[in-house]
Amino acid sequence: MTSRTRLSLGIALVVLVGAVIAASAVAASAIKIPGVTAKTVTIGGTFPLTGPAQLYGVIPKAENAYFQYVNAHGGVNGRKIIFKYYDDGYNPANTVPLTHKLVQQDHVFAVYGSLGTAPTLATRDYLNKAKVPQVLVATGDSYWGAQYKKYPWTIGFQPDYPGESRVYGQFIASKVPQAKIGVLMQDDAYGQNYYNGLVQGLGAAKSKIVDVEKYDATQTDVSQQVVKLKAAGANVFALFALPTQTITALVVATKVGWTPTTFINNVSSSPLFMALAQKAGANVQNDITATYVYDVWNNPNSATTKLYKSIMAKYDAGADPLDANNVYGIANAATMVHALQQAGKALTRSGLMDALTNLNWTNPFLYPGLKMVTSSHERFPIDQQILQQYKGTGWQPFGHIFSHAR
Amino acid sequence: MAAYSRFIVPALLGGCVIFLIVGSLQSSLFAQQTVSGLANGGIYASLGVALVLIYRATQVINFAQGAIATFTTYVAWQLMTWGLSYWPAFFLTLAIAFVGGTLLELITIRPVERRGNVLTVVIATLGVLILVEGSVGWIWGAEIRFMPPAFPAKGIHVGGVSFSLQDLGTIGISIASVVVLWALFKFTKIGLAMRAAAFRPDAARLVGVRVSWMLSLGWGLAAMLGAVAGMMAAASPSVLLQPNMMDGILIYSFAAAVLGGLESPAGAVVAGLLIGAMLNLLGSYVSWITPQLLLPAAFVLMLVVLLVKPSGLFGRTQVRRV
Amino acid sequence: MKARALLIGIVALAVALMPFILSDYNRSQGAEVAVFAMAILGLNVVTGYTGQISIGHGAFMALGGYTTAILTHDHGWNDIATLPVALLVGFVAGVVVGVPALRFHGAYLALLTFAFALAVPQVAKNYSSFTGGTEGLALPTHTGMWLYGVAWGCTAAIYVVTVFLLHGRTGRAFRAARDSEVAAASSGVSLALYKTFAFGVSAAFAAVAGSIYVLINNFVNPDVFGLTLSLYILIGAVVGGLGSLWGILVGAAFVQLLPIGLTSSHVISAEGVPVLFGAIVIIVMALVPRGSAEVLRLAMGLPNRIRRSHDSSTPHSLEAR
Repeated sequence: MTSRTRLSLGIALVVLVGAVIAASAVAASAIKIPGVTAKTVTIGGTFPLTGPAQLYGVIPKAENAYFQYVNAHGGVNGRKIIFKYYDDGYNPANTVPLTHKLVQQDHVFAVYGSLGTAPTLATRDYLNKAKVPQVLVATGDSYWGAQYKKYPWTIGFQPDYPGESRVYGQFIASKVPQAKIGVLMQDDAYGQNYYNGLVQGLGAAKSKIVDVEKYDATQTDVSQQVVKLKAAGANVFALFALPTQTITALVVATKVGWTPTTFINNVSSSPLFMALAQKAGANVQNDITATYVYDVWNNPNSATTKLYKSIMAKYDAGADPLDANNVYGIANAATMVHALQQAGKALTRSGLMDALTNLNWTNPFLYPGLKMVTSSHERFPIDQQILQQYKGTGWQPFGHIFSHAR
Repeated sequence: MAAYSRFIVPALLGGCVIFLIVGSLQSSLFAQQTVSGLANGGIYASLGVALVLIYRATQVINFAQGAIATFTTYVAWQLMTWGLSYWPAFFLTLAIAFVGGTLLELITIRPVERRGNVLTVVIATLGVLILVEGSVGWIWGAEIRFMPPAFPAKGIHVGGVSFSLQDLGTIGISIASVVVLWALFKFTKIGLAMRAAAFRPDAARLVGVRVSWMLSLGWGLAAMLGAVAGMMAAASPSVLLQPNMMDGILIYSFAAAVLGGLESPAGAVVAGLLIGAMLNLLGSYVSWITPQLLLPAAFVLMLVVLLVKPSGLFGRTQVRRV
Repeated sequence: MKARALLIGIVALAVALMPFILSDYNRSQGAEVAVFAMAILGLNVVTGYTGQISIGHGAFMALGGYTTAILTHDHGWNDIATLPVALLVGFVAGVVVGVPALRFHGAYLALLTFAFALAVPQVAKNYSSFTGGTEGLALPTHTGMWLYGVAWGCTAAIYVVTVFLLHGRTGRAFRAARDSEVAAASSGVSLALYKTFAFGVSAAFAAVAGSIYVLINNFVNPDVFGLTLSLYILIGAVVGGLGSLWGILVGAAFVQLLPIGLTSSHVISAEGVPVLFGAIVIIVMALVPRGSAEVLRLAMGLPNRIRRSHDSSTPHSLEAR
């Protein structure tokens, strides 16, 4: 080989390498973001459309209604939202493969809104490892906000359960001096989360808890526990249960002649459930709960309610607009749309996470005065709630907005 | 040994009753727990009787019994929502349940039974369970509905104990249904034919009984009883009308049927009431029995009964073994 | 005989080559089919050979699944190393259940195993410090290829073990027990021993299936092993037909792939799936007696109306049809 041919080979090699580097740089800049095209962005989630938690199956439909509404008005940054949701029957053994399907087969941009604590825990490792956003999950455990260092791609939506019951604890400690508190809680992490928050909120007044009764989620009958709480002499009833058991407890309490000041956790305090308990004979007057969604019940003629109802009527016909789960769905979907908006035209997964961890936004479908604020180290999107009391046939908000002191 | 064993069950039952009465006199909490337990027991009992009826007729455990009860209860609710008042809706539902149960046997069980055996029929009932439970959710959705009670649900307070006419009615109806069944089997021709078809099918055929129709009839009756159980349960505050309302009840009804001897409606009622009361008392006085362990406790009870006295409380019939 | 070997070879080859053309997601779906195949095979051993029914095989899967989860999560074991332990735990549990099961008539056993399937997840929920309760235990993730290989590898191993077991002395004893208890007893076969052993083997297979199920989902909580799982195992066994190799594969594919396939192709809404599923079960029970009804009839030891067409040394239930 002559030196000349060697030189030309060398030059050719350099040119080739340069070309490859340039090409890959060009390719890198145009790297495809999964689920994002010029015209669409695809997101997806898993929900209990069947099974024991079917009650919450209305949520993804309301969320989809909002996305349809946004799409009909031009979409987000010119992109239409495609929302794929699958039924996991509230069984993590279904959630995992369906979430894999969303990521690997449907190539979603983000897993959005998936419902339930165990389903979210079951998929959290996988999604964080794959760096797929798992956002605005529909569960109030405190993990999503608290464990962001280990799981930066996961974020919740609603107020966390301990935060909510801290509000009850603070209120009881300051406003009910003679309280003797009886607690009925589900015997799992859900109930424990609420119980821990109550104890924190009570502070020094935690000795006022006179009895704690537990039930298992497969039990619908909680009359035995209610009877014991009454016998323990409680005059404040802290009810940390799922909707069915909540209604049962309220009816049984009235039936056995127990008239405590009752606190009902937000998850189970939908006006539908209260109306049902009332029909079944419960005295629910003056019961107290905390809320954060927009009050469509007391403000039927406000612009927000009208917008909400028109969206529901047009895109989720047949659903009951007075079901709090639907208001929840719309408020959650609105947050997603806002975050996509903030993430900008050049949409990336980390851009979405940046948007969700730098929220400073007044969500029109939340209670007026509440603000969604997050930062890199404050990952609880909704951190404020207002108490409301049941009067006549509906909830009436009262007092000031509580912040979850953390 | 045999001489003693005749007295064991009466002694045990008597002991339980005395225990419940003495305990209730001692403490009003105990009394209250017993009374509200008995109210639940009435629901276990009436579904248990429906199970017994099908078992007697076909030697099959109908796993779909709870789902069928739920479905018919939704039918009743639908009728009332369309404007019927309670009792017309109640009886119309019973009629629909009877026809539906008979048809279900005709469409789903008979073709299977003709070719298969007890086990394939059991699997077919599991198919019916999935089908019927699924259609309830599909047709009526998951919302919790309000089912009006047959009797006033308002609390009555007597000496520190509260109960409602609805509780008494539930227990009363489960006992009444046993009496009606007993009369049907004892005094009517059709009842006799049904018994013959169940226990001596070949002999029954010889004397002109249409055995297969008797089995359909059995399903129809069981569906009716299930409808009663469902309507009572859904009106009870401890169940509420929702698609999976029987999930938490079915296992205790099974336990009641087993403890009662699987072939004895009266046994199922007594056992159902006893299980209701005992579960409440266990949960409230025995601290190591956590709420999660109540369901396994029902399993252990069934296992022990079947091992020790498979003919149940009042059973005289020989248990069929492998 | 040669044709059968050839068919088995072709199926084995197809299963072995499949992962190379599937996507990673479909590989893990394939692994789940293997999980059901193992559990169905386990049910087959006990129902097809000794005439005992179990509606509660999901409970044995739970035991295996929790064994794997606890050993890997709390004790840092390698996942594969937990499989023999799960097998052993399943076997012991099967024997413990099998002893009382000896005493029960089919319908009673159906009832008891049904209750067992409901009770086991509750027990897991109750000892949450050990099992993680409803919040469950999260495990390391694996690739679809790894899962597919392990799952089908185990299925193949279990299948081979079953064939050897049933061709040998044990299999003869099982069949003797099933076909005529009196004959079996008089020829010196210890009925109780073999029936209990069969229950143990059956539960052991289900336990391994449960272990791999947990590895695929990399998560375990009591909801995973609900009643639905037990029902699906039984339905898979019945739909495919208890007793044939094809049946096991078809049944497993049916319960695993059909619901997901139907909903994701929007043929039917999620709420409609159980309705369709239940209807299919009933229709299959009514129309396809061979391979399900007939074998079950044998299993029940009821009057046998089928012409005995097989060579007596061939296990009926693994006849590749």
